[in-house]
Amino acid sequence: MCFPRSTEEVAAAVRIAALHDRAFVVRGSGTGLAGGATPLADPLVIVMTQMNRILDIDPVEQVAWVEPGVLNLDLSRAVAPLGLHYAPDPSSQHACSIGGNVATNAGGPHCLASGVTSAHVRALEVVLADGSIADLGGLIPDAPGYDLRGVFVGSEGTMGIATAIAVHLTSNPPAVRTLLLDFTSVEAAAAAVSGIIASGILPAALEMMDAQITRAVEDFVGAGFPRDAAAVLLVELDGLPAGVAADVAAVERVGLAEGARTVRVAADDTERELLWKGRKSAFGAIARIAPDYYLHDAVVPRSRLVEVLHRVYEIAAEQRLTVMNVFHAGDGNLHPLIVFDAREPGIWPRVHDAGDAILRACVDAGGVLSGEHGIGIEKRDFMPLIFNPDDLDAQAKVRDSFDPSGRANPDKVLPAGSRCGEAQRIPEGAWI
Amino acid sequence: MTLHLDDDELVACVACGLCLPHCPTYRVTGLEIASPRGRIAAMRSVQYDDAPIDAAFVGAMEECVQCRGCEAACPSGVAFGHLMEETRAVLHDTPGARPRLGQRAVEWLGYRIVLPNRVLLRMLTWLIWLAQRLGLVPGRFGLPKLAARDLTIRLDSDPDPEAFLFTGCVMDAWQRAVHRSALAVMRSTGARVAPSPNGGATCCGGLHTHSGRLDEARALARRVIASMPGDVDIVVDSAGCGAAMKDYGRLLGTVESEAFSARVSDFSEWVVERGLPELRTTGRSVVIQDPCHLRHVQHAQGPVHQALALAYDISTTADDGLCCGAGGAYAVYQLQLAAAIRTRKAEAIRNASPMATATVLVASANPGCAMHLGAVAGLDVRHPAELIEEALP
Repeated sequence: MCFPRSTEEVAAAVRIAALHDRAFVVRGSGTGLAGGATPLADPLVIVMTQMNRILDIDPVEQVAWVEPGVLNLDLSRAVAPLGLHYAPDPSSQHACSIGGNVATNAGGPHCLASGVTSAHVRALEVVLADGSIADLGGLIPDAPGYDLRGVFVGSEGTMGIATAIAVHLTSNPPAVRTLLLDFTSVEAAAAAVSGIIASGILPAALEMMDAQITRAVEDFVGAGFPRDAAAVLLVELDGLPAGVAADVAAVERVGLAEGARTVRVAADDTERELLWKGRKSAFGAIARIAPDYYLHDAVVPRSRLVEVLHRVYEIAAEQRLTVMNVFHAGDGNLHPLIVFDAREPGIWPRVHDAGDAILRACVDAGGVLSGEHGIGIEKRDFMPLIFNPDDLDAQAKVRDSFDPSGRANPDKVLPAGSRCGEAQRIPEGAWI
Repeated sequence: MTLHLDDDELVACVACGLCLPHCPTYRVTGLEIASPRGRIAAMRSVQYDDAPIDAAFVGAMEECVQCRGCEAACPSGVAFGHLMEETRAVLHDTPGARPRLGQRAVEWLGYRIVLPNRVLLRMLTWLIWLAQRLGLVPGRFGLPKLAARDLTIRLDSDPDPEAFLFTGCVMDAWQRAVHRSALAVMRSTGARVAPSPNGGATCCGGLHTHSGRLDEARALARRVIASMPGDVDIVVDSAGCGAAMKDYGRLLGTVESEAFSARVSDFSEWVVERGLPELRTTGRSVVIQDPCHLRHVQHAQGPVHQALALAYDISTTADDGLCCGAGGAYAVYQLQLAAAIRTRKAEAIRNASPMATATVLVASANPGCAMHLGAVAGLDVRHPAELIEEALP
């Protein structure tokens, strides 16, 4: 294990690993949910927590160069006096690092309008698996040539280690309003989601919580979420004041037309923050119900949301498990949470089987394996569900061109047998 | 080997890592083992996987400041402070985990003899005063400069008091000026007040709990409770002591101790509840440092802000109340870590100050934090009671 403090030290660590033919795994804050930074076998673990300086902030170009260990929220706080923020806001934004966000191409509630991490990374300095240092991308958007920056973002440490990251900083919106809509059926809530987007409005965030999680959250924060709702929507609108006012009226109209029981517009920042606190502490509220949870992350077409949701409930009932749903409804990113107590004998196979079935249901509905958490080892062996052998081989070739040695975070993302000619191995099941 | 920790408490951590940025030792080291998640993992490996209680384990536990900032950040509600106290108690009783004889002797003297003994503490204080006058105390010890004028302050009692101000041990000896201000502000609400009655109420035992000396802590708690019978309010102007005394109910587990704990308020909590007279606007800026044991443990930092806002331009640090590194006796045991944490805190305080003045006025409701931060050049750390007293009409 090592704790480098500079690009040169990272390169040296990687070269030493090469000299001894050792794999290496890069690790940030350790908040990942797919096991991308989990060491397998006996690799060198390169921990980036001490490379945590903000190197440069350019408020005119709206770019900050940061080291990978800088925490997501620390960056937003550092640029707050300039009226700027870093837009991607995973629920773990207090604790997760920008380097980890780059590795997983992380998302967050506010990525609906502004895009996930890749849309906010302009350039990267990376150490490749042979210890060489390369610059990817550039400060000018849409540079000529292949977008290697785009390839690297989301590569989960399998293509090298980012040692400096140029991120785009977003101006704080002049006006923000947050609305809470409550419905007596998930169908109506889902219809409202589609209706809002069809009306031409792109909310800054559009979140749904189902009946169970809404009750759990309300017990925890007491923000006035209706306990008897089948589903609630949290809609955030931002922009110029006049535009926001018009959007608020439009969302209210659509919501009521689709059968919303009530539409509550947060009166001030305190009320707004309380509503968001409810949404962002959803996992906390759940953790108080049972000590363990298995959080999923799949994306389905918005038009199939309701159908998939019902399937998720069925699967949980079949395995006698409690499942709660909180999700980024605007982009169809589901987060079914299975809550359980790992000390209960025989529970693990049921949790695994339920997770497996949920993933397959999402894929059957035309979805994908991961919205924002990454593939890591958790979903590695599900990759063949959505990619055929040729697709996987093409991905393996891209990976190999960055790291011909195969020492950068091996056995992650791509399942064994991805390369043509490799023996196919039977998946061992989901990793938690 | 087992730590005898509560199973439900120990499994409650889901290792999400949301506590990490709120842990002062993780913030300055970036090491997993210096984080709450790492410490829980270490506790689990001892309790469940037969890992030894070796020097590395003891070191990892002793590096924790016990600020409980992690508890405030934890979505799963892990009772980290309790886990750490129980672990320390086991370490205290484990022969192999104990410090060397010399250190043990000094600790024994400090915890058993000096802190609970008012007269001895005052005599020692005068000795330190003398040594300081003779230039025999190096500055790196971080002791505040004692002034004879402060050491001789008398604290007056009103007849038939409605509230006692708990005077404690070190504060009673070294910070009598704060007590005098606290009593003056309490009187300004129209109440009859008095310092805690003589004799029994000396040390609250908070420091003992932190270092795993639970039996001694319980004995001191019983003594404090016995010294203030009845139902008179008990006001505490030290956040650390207040947190300990509010926890007597759990520490002793008796009806009597619970009733006692329910009578305890922090100074600012009490005066805001009683109603302060209209304060003069001072026009001065003050950065409020929330002591961990006020914010993360008592959850009672609000009234400090409310009260000071009546007379000062207040500002707060943008670090979610990250610890300053004082931690009772922590600053003595972990010199380097405590200093690194303090440097970070001092920077957050300077950044919070609206004006780039040479000296930043800081309010801290805990004497330990005040002494620790007061040693930083350019910070003038005062107790809220003193600042409010200055603004009394």
